[in-house]
Amino acid sequence: MHKLGRGHRDKLQQFITITGASEKLALQALKASDWHLEGAFDFFYSQPQLKTFTDSRHLEELYNRYKDAYVDMILADGITLLCNDIQVDPQDIVMLVLSWHMKAGTMCEFSKKEFIEGLQSLGIDSLEKFREKIPYMRSELKDEQKFREIYNFAFGWAKEKGQKSLALDTAIGMWQLLFAEKQWPLVDHWCQFLQARHNKAISRDTWSQLLEFAKTVGSNLSDYDAEGAWPYLIDEFVEYLNENGIIQNDLINDSSLKR
Amino acid sequence: MERKIIDFDQGWDYMQKGITKLKRILEGAPETPFSSEEYMMLYTTIYNMCTQKPPNDFSQQLYDKYKDAFDEYINTTVLPSLREKHDEFMLRELVQRWLNHKVMVRWLSRFFHYLDRYFISRRSLAGLGAVGLTCFRDSVYMEVRVNARKAVIALIDKEREGEQIDRSLLKNVLDIFVEIGMGEMDQYEQDFEVHMLEDTADYYKSKAANWIEIDSCPDYMLKAEDCLRRERDRVSHYLHSSTEQKLVEKVQQEVLVIHANQLLEKENSGCHALLRDDKVEDLSRMYRLYHKIPKGLDPVANVFKQHITAEGAALVQQAEEASSNQTTSGSGFQEQVLVRKFLELHDKYMAYVNDCFMNHTLFHKALKEAFEIFCNKTVGGSSSAELLSTFCDNILKKGGSEKLSDEAIEDTLEKVVKLLAYISDKDLFAEFYRKKLARRLLFDRSANDDHEKCILTKLKQQCGGQFTSKMEGMVVDLTLARDNQLKFEEYLRDNSHVNPGIDLTVTVLTTGFWPSYKSFDLNLPSEMIRCLEVFKGFYETRTKHRKLTWIYSLGTCHVTGKFDTKNIELIVPTYPAAALLLFNNADRLSYSEILTQLNLGHEDVVRLLHSLSCAKYKILIKEPNNKVISQNDIFEFNHKFTDKMRRIKIPLPPADERKKVIEDVDKDRRYAIDAAIVRIMKSRKILGHQQLVLECVEQLGRMFKPDIKAIKKRIEDLITRDYLERDKDNPNTFRYLA
Repeated sequence: MHKLGRGHRDKLQQFITITGASEKLALQALKASDWHLEGAFDFFYSQPQLKTFTDSRHLEELYNRYKDAYVDMILADGITLLCNDIQVDPQDIVMLVLSWHMKAGTMCEFSKKEFIEGLQSLGIDSLEKFREKIPYMRSELKDEQKFREIYNFAFGWAKEKGQKSLALDTAIGMWQLLFAEKQWPLVDHWCQFLQARHNKAISRDTWSQLLEFAKTVGSNLSDYDAEGAWPYLIDEFVEYLNENGIIQNDLINDSSLKR
Repeated sequence: MERKIIDFDQGWDYMQKGITKLKRILEGAPETPFSSEEYMMLYTTIYNMCTQKPPNDFSQQLYDKYKDAFDEYINTTVLPSLREKHDEFMLRELVQRWLNHKVMVRWLSRFFHYLDRYFISRRSLAGLGAVGLTCFRDSVYMEVRVNARKAVIALIDKEREGEQIDRSLLKNVLDIFVEIGMGEMDQYEQDFEVHMLEDTADYYKSKAANWIEIDSCPDYMLKAEDCLRRERDRVSHYLHSSTEQKLVEKVQQEVLVIHANQLLEKENSGCHALLRDDKVEDLSRMYRLYHKIPKGLDPVANVFKQHITAEGAALVQQAEEASSNQTTSGSGFQEQVLVRKFLELHDKYMAYVNDCFMNHTLFHKALKEAFEIFCNKTVGGSSSAELLSTFCDNILKKGGSEKLSDEAIEDTLEKVVKLLAYISDKDLFAEFYRKKLARRLLFDRSANDDHEKCILTKLKQQCGGQFTSKMEGMVVDLTLARDNQLKFEEYLRDNSHVNPGIDLTVTVLTTGFWPSYKSFDLNLPSEMIRCLEVFKGFYETRTKHRKLTWIYSLGTCHVTGKFDTKNIELIVPTYPAAALLLFNNADRLSYSEILTQLNLGHEDVVRLLHSLSCAKYKILIKEPNNKVISQNDIFEFNHKFTDKMRRIKIPLPPADERKKVIEDVDKDRRYAIDAAIVRIMKSRKILGHQQLVLECVEQLGRMFKPDIKAIKKRIEDLITRDYLERDKDNPNTFRYLA
């Protein structure tokens, strides 16, 4: 440890803090990327996760701790208890990441299969390991590809069972939660626009294309193509921004940020 | 006998005498013509000198001497005579010298003929004729060609200014330019034509620059036409025919092309003014002048289009103003006048296209594009699709505002159908038309079956069978319905135990052909219920597997009203009739009682009560006594009602069906767009967004012009319904899901 220079030591510590990886893995990733943090993240996430052995009996115990008294699933109360045990707020976005690992079909519910297989894939069979894994799961949101997967997973997870669209209020809540991680400057305008002009449920296509829009179109919208394949609602949003002179303000803000 | 050897000097001396004689003849000196003996001796001398054994074979020397003879004559006689003369006189001398030269070539060629047959052939030398012409060309032509050209061009310009010139002289001179080329046009083209064309351009550039300033457009065009005609004349009189196209193009360029914009846009006489003032002859001339010029007609067609557009827009504006001034906004009279004016406008400008503009596609296109602009405007809240269908209705229904002969009706309908081609919302027209056709057919308001069929045939020809299939179905339904009614009456006669109680006529319709109608569960009076059951029994004897749905709102009843002074027969729609029958059992009824007993919606109850208590005939007395139906009103049978007629018709107030039609069409369009998208994607499997939108617009364009936003909405809906998905790697591309 003391063999490393101070810069390297700082980077190692930073990497461990963000990813929750072991020092050994962190060191391996940083060396492979020539001590560039971003490259190290890419390396780390591209490695197949070593499937840690998990104790089935312990998993059963965990499941039974949280499962509902009457139904063979974990419901809202169980999830609340779980959050309490792992010291995470139920509203924390890391719960979405966890649900994604578990392939949860719907919000506030985990079937036994989802719960046990999810924890196995994460190498968790105890509360201690669960708590240790939280930073790792949180750091997965930094990876662009995983963020996209989690973002698109969120749609099915958050919508009402049997519905095809996502209720507007729920969608807005999810967007605010997700874009807190991704820093899209127009997210507040988007939510205001939806409440002012749309007031209806959100389709899956609009949901997934909004992320592409946020990623590919600059915040001054100079490269927006209204003739392109963007969903109709996004076309309306761009019109709304232009009508209200919001683009100009954001252009100024954007310049400020760059300066 | 051994032939005596002729030495060269001796022989040539003899030939010289002959040549000298020829020259004197050419110069007009007193000289006797060559006798045949002289000719034969001259020929024989050459023959002998060429056939003697070497070194006495003088073929080569003679060949050289032949050329020298010409050169000497040209240098001593021809050139001096030309050099002393100028301009037209020089041209005359040149023509004469050329004629003389050709005579000389002809004679000397005869004398020296033997050379051509053997010596020249063996040596592949230039022939005697060619040598002769070449001499003139190289010595005379080359020297005088510039001055000759200038002189000719000067004379041409004189003729252009109206002076008399010697045309045959010019023709002869120009023939020299052509002939000197010896089968090629190079000399003519490069030594004369190109310069003449340049001069022509300069001439007309100057002229046109003056004319364009002082002449009106028609006068200018007359001059242009005259110039072209006269230049063509010039070609036929003395220029070579190959010059015509080039010459015409020069004139066109300088007179027509360069000043086209200025000419066509002249303030009070240009293309726009000619159209405004219906100057047919001038417009025809404009067409004749410009149609051969590449892109020449484009500005004319453009002005034509703008003019028609402006006239059409003015008609729309007038109709809009008149419509907003109409006291009875429902009459739509001004809108009908507008359609009539559109038809007249179309006739007028189609005549222009056919007659002035010779059916040129550019003008058909201009006309079409112009009409497409103003024929798709809304007037008085009505789309043109609705206006056209109303116009047809007025022609086709009994007592319509139009009073036309059969022939005039058919002609007008034909023109209306042509006008329909310009309307982008043909599906909207079809729906409005169907609505009105239904009313004409169901209420026996159609004036003439043949005309109904006639217009459907025309619509079918223009818009396709699918466009008219429902309408044709409607007409067929009516025929079948009449037959069905006859069978029903027969059924009643044959089954005396079956008694409907009152007379009943039923029109059986095929759902799908007809516009959709609301079908309320109206609580019928018991008298009517019995009728329906009797008919149902009859109908079931004819078909087992069809379901009858009654649409009472389309029915008409004859009700005898017993009033204090006299009985009056009331002809009323079914809903008001059902309401009236309620008063057989009660003198006073509240609004809500009527609503409940009839089991109709508010909208229908308000309408029927209005027709019975607030309109012309007050069969019911309303409390309070005002013009508006409210839910707190009370109604009482008006025993005191009377009228001078024994039979009166009480119509319902006209319902505004525009909104309904438009909603129906919008819904149909969503289906049509969905179907088009699915059809396209099914055949393509994978397609980019732009291409999909493009093909969708293309497929649907015959019926309506889809809004791009509407297409995008349908695409999203189809994605939601799992017909399409976005490509995983490229969100601008869609995939069809089987």
